[in-house]
Amino acid sequence: MSKKPTVQPALHKVIMVGSGGVGKSALTLQFMYDEFVEDYEPTKADSYRKKILLDGEDVQIDILDTAGQEDYAAIRDHYFRSGEGFLCIFSITEDESFQATQEFREQILRVKNDENIPFLLVGNKCDLEDKRKVSFQEASERARQWGVPYVETSAKTREHVDKVFFDLMREIRARKMEENKANNGRGKDRKKKSIKCVIL
Amino acid sequence: MVPPPVVTGLSPNDGPPGTRITIRGENFGTKATDLVGNLMRINQFKSNTEWKSPSKIIAISGPGKGLGDVIVSTKVGGVGTCNVKFKGYKNENIGPMKDSAVWVEETSFYPWDRHSLSSSSFQQDDPLGLSVEGTERKLSEDDLNEKFPSASGDITSENFSACWFLLENHLATSFNDLQAGLLHLKRKVEGQKEGHLSFLKTNVGAVMDQVDTLILLKEKYGSDLDEFGSEPTLKLEKAIKESEREARKLYDDVLTRRDRAEKTRNALNVLSRFKFLFCLPCSIDRNIKKGDYDIVINDYMRVKNLFLKRDIPVFKMALNEIERCIVGIKKQLHVKLVKMPIHVDEQKRLIRYLINLDSSFEPAWDAINGHADYLHSRMKQCYEEHKAAIVEDLNKSKNSNLSSKYSKFAAMHDTNHCPQNVFYVEEMCDIISELFPDIWKLGQSYFTGELHVKVEPGHKTAFKHTVLNIMEVFCKRLRAAIIPHSLDRNTDRNTYEAWTLPDIDVMAVYLPDCLRYVRLSYAILVKLDLPSDALDIVLAFISDLRIHCMCVLFKKTTDNIKRLSKQEKWKVEVSGSHNGITDLPLNFENAVQDLIQVIAESVLKSEAREGPLGESTSSKRIRQTGSSDDDDDDEIRSPIVSQLIGTPSFVYRSRTHNQKPAWEHRLLMTLANCQYTMNAVLKNIVEAFSKNGYNISPNIIRKSRTDLENLERSILESYLEQKSDPLVGTIEPSMYLGRFDWDTNITPTDLRPYAKECINNLIHVHFEVNSISSKLVDSVLPQVVQTIAEELYRLMSCVQKFSTAGIQQAHVDISALQEFFQGYSTPKAKDHFKEAMELIPPLKQPDLTIVEDILQKCRTKMRLQVLCLQKS
Ligand SMILES: Nc1nc2c(ncn2[C@@H]2O[C@H](COP(=O)(O)OP(=O)(O)OP(=O)(O)O)[C@@H](O)[C@H]2O)c(=O)[nH]1
Ligand SMILES: [Mg+2]
Repeated sequence: MSKKPTVQPALHKVIMVGSGGVGKSALTLQFMYDEFVEDYEPTKADSYRKKILLDGEDVQIDILDTAGQEDYAAIRDHYFRSGEGFLCIFSITEDESFQATQEFREQILRVKNDENIPFLLVGNKCDLEDKRKVSFQEASERARQWGVPYVETSAKTREHVDKVFFDLMREIRARKMEENKANNGRGKDRKKKSIKCVIL
Repeated sequence: MVPPPVVTGLSPNDGPPGTRITIRGENFGTKATDLVGNLMRINQFKSNTEWKSPSKIIAISGPGKGLGDVIVSTKVGGVGTCNVKFKGYKNENIGPMKDSAVWVEETSFYPWDRHSLSSSSFQQDDPLGLSVEGTERKLSEDDLNEKFPSASGDITSENFSACWFLLENHLATSFNDLQAGLLHLKRKVEGQKEGHLSFLKTNVGAVMDQVDTLILLKEKYGSDLDEFGSEPTLKLEKAIKESEREARKLYDDVLTRRDRAEKTRNALNVLSRFKFLFCLPCSIDRNIKKGDYDIVINDYMRVKNLFLKRDIPVFKMALNEIERCIVGIKKQLHVKLVKMPIHVDEQKRLIRYLINLDSSFEPAWDAINGHADYLHSRMKQCYEEHKAAIVEDLNKSKNSNLSSKYSKFAAMHDTNHCPQNVFYVEEMCDIISELFPDIWKLGQSYFTGELHVKVEPGHKTAFKHTVLNIMEVFCKRLRAAIIPHSLDRNTDRNTYEAWTLPDIDVMAVYLPDCLRYVRLSYAILVKLDLPSDALDIVLAFISDLRIHCMCVLFKKTTDNIKRLSKQEKWKVEVSGSHNGITDLPLNFENAVQDLIQVIAESVLKSEAREGPLGESTSSKRIRQTGSSDDDDDDEIRSPIVSQLIGTPSFVYRSRTHNQKPAWEHRLLMTLANCQYTMNAVLKNIVEAFSKNGYNISPNIIRKSRTDLENLERSILESYLEQKSDPLVGTIEPSMYLGRFDWDTNITPTDLRPYAKECINNLIHVHFEVNSISSKLVDSVLPQVVQTIAEELYRLMSCVQKFSTAGIQQAHVDISALQEFFQGYSTPKAKDHFKEAMELIPPLKQPDLTIVEDILQKCRTKMRLQVLCLQKS
């Protein structure tokens, strides 16, 4: 059927990263299908794509829900390359997951080689306030250091779920517009382009 | 028209054939059979597809390499579209000992599985004859896909693309090498083209070798056949089988160990993940011990939310366990709920718990009933306690009677000893004031939905009935205790045994207290905003009690007043305006004033308070009660007041008869008392009554006044009887003393002795009366004078013949008396004197001067006497 996007709507590629069990899939499914999954099934890599209205403009969001489990760490590099924006999730009830965000951040910057890649630090499971292990200050301090926004969400109550996706897409769109203007920009995706050159 | 299905999500988005994929999207049909199938790249498979919901199905991927759409078709929606792609890759076979990041379906679904196994080994040779070892730089399949849509790097594929292949496998190979590779490939192709003969030619050496070897083989086989028989492989087979068994043993061991390890790990995983579930019974126990029911309920709800819908047996077991726990808790809570006494707030909390736990009871209703039952039982218990106390008192007094005879009820009738009835009333009122508000508040919260319970339709009337019943029982029990006569003779007297009432004197002391207790309780009930039907019951009781209280107080006062006369000490108070009275009327007034005071304080005073209280609910009804009250009171009062006033007359008269010396004095004192009562006391009393809001009817006052007047008259009469009878009686004998005859010829020179005696006697009376009270002189003397005048008239009319001297004498006597008594003469007395004078023949001219002379002489002689009888 439809081969590769002969697209009318712009496509924004979002990647969910974070440790296992922090709620990446839960956030994605909540955003996509308004449902909350109680059971935990570790993800390998899931793709989702749908049309949405972003500030009155039809766009397509492509969400790559990646694996948090260490078993899959090896394939991350490959995924990260295709991402245009990242939601870096941790669970406010688990300090380890918060510490892990540092690693994810570094890996993304390494792969994308771009300090200003659209990126949101997301503290999930904020409905479990009584089990909180990571304070809001601590997390927002780290976000400030990185120069990224910090948002707390709950996949269970849907709090701020739409917000994180839409905020990220707005950043991606802004980035793309910037790049288009400076069309002769530095071209970070040099690999892709260079290959094209070789072929043609 | 149903829209076609759209796939928007795949989990996971890649994998080897046989991967279990969760497909999400829209319009996947409304039931499982709607699904026709899904297309995944080139493979179409309908079996191994599981329909979960209109937006979710689960499928197993087919064999196929590279990116492809996942297309879902339904009966009604037709063939759908796809937003996301699935990437299949060559099936790398994962053995049981190999690490794998994904779940591997170990059962093989597909016949091509085995085939692909061999084809992958075939794949290893590079067609260019080049080593691919050193190519660490690789292009991702995605990028290739983008560049060469609908192409493939698979050399066996129909749409094989050489570019793809080169980019994929020889990205780092140098141009020279590639040229060499090309040559190699060409050679290979050439070689195939030349055919069998040239093939043999070029390889003749090898072919010969092979033929030799074949011959050798045949010879060897022949000799082996001779040597080992026709089944040379038997031993081998055995050995293989043996080794297979051994291997299996080894392998099985590993497998079972692995299984066990897996199981343990799973179990541990499950345990730690669902620690909450499994620890819940324990933590429930702990929290219950701490009394943290809120936490228990919260946990229970959470567990129910999380696990109720799961079919896993372990969960089911744990849930059952918890469920058992909760049932226990429910029972426990319910027991607590109906166990009295208990605070309402506590109870409300328990009700909330029970409702949250979804208990099968009706906690709120049970609590209300529990309260009502408790109230009833408390009332009963109170009753029994006091009854027992009475019996004990009786026994005690009986015991003391054994030693001190003939004072059987001394203990009970002791005024200082507060009767059990009163204690009972007080305690009952306390019980109602303390317990009833709880019932009512609970009921209110129940019916206003504050407890978040559905109200059963019948309960509203049932509750009202309960409330009314409580009021009824409360009032009837109290009635039985203090006003048993107001109980209905037929029905209630059997259920509520009437108490023995203490003496009226004792009752009079304590009834106002009882009334106060009941009123206090009533005030509390009024504050609760009870329906008027319920309040009416108590109000009726209160008004009965008030009337009764009033009756008793009046009766007691009456008795006291009756007893007053016995305390008469005949000590004359010499006070300014009312001299001659004893302290009796003052005591009487005091008694009545005290009564009014008590009534005003207890019975009447609060009436004013009740009025406004009742105004909001049913003022009209209360006013009616109020007015009927007054009617009753009037009925009670009229005999009482008249009795009060009638009493002295009786007492006084009896006193008079038993008098010893100076009874005339006492009579006079009584008379003075009587007048004082009539003039001053009565007025004071009426004033006091009306000042305290008690409208005394004029009838009563009039009646009292007449009573008093009658009394006064009778006392006066008896006094006059005692006084004027002898006085008047002496006139006739002393008139005819010394055989005097009116037909005499002795010329008069002075008043005759009888006249003088009469004057002196009157002066004596005057003195006597005046010595008690000067006020009485006016009422006593005229009466005496009148009888004297009447007697004179009678005596004159009896005279047969007057001589001239007799005429003169009579004129002198009568005129003198008439003149001297002038001051105290009633018109009737004056008439009598005049008539007496007319009976005497008239005087002739010379006689007139004689009479006048004599009278003149008398006036000067008896100047002192005349002064005595003159009115001041
Ligand atoms: N209470 C609560 N639970 C959440 C929330 N988000 C996720 N969970 C639960 O956390 C568990 C893990 O969620 P997933 O979304 O599967 O985690 P993940 O980040 O996708 O994990 P990996 O796929 O292994 O990387 C699930 O049992 C979810 O129900 C949340 O916001 N609140
Ligand atoms: Mg996941």
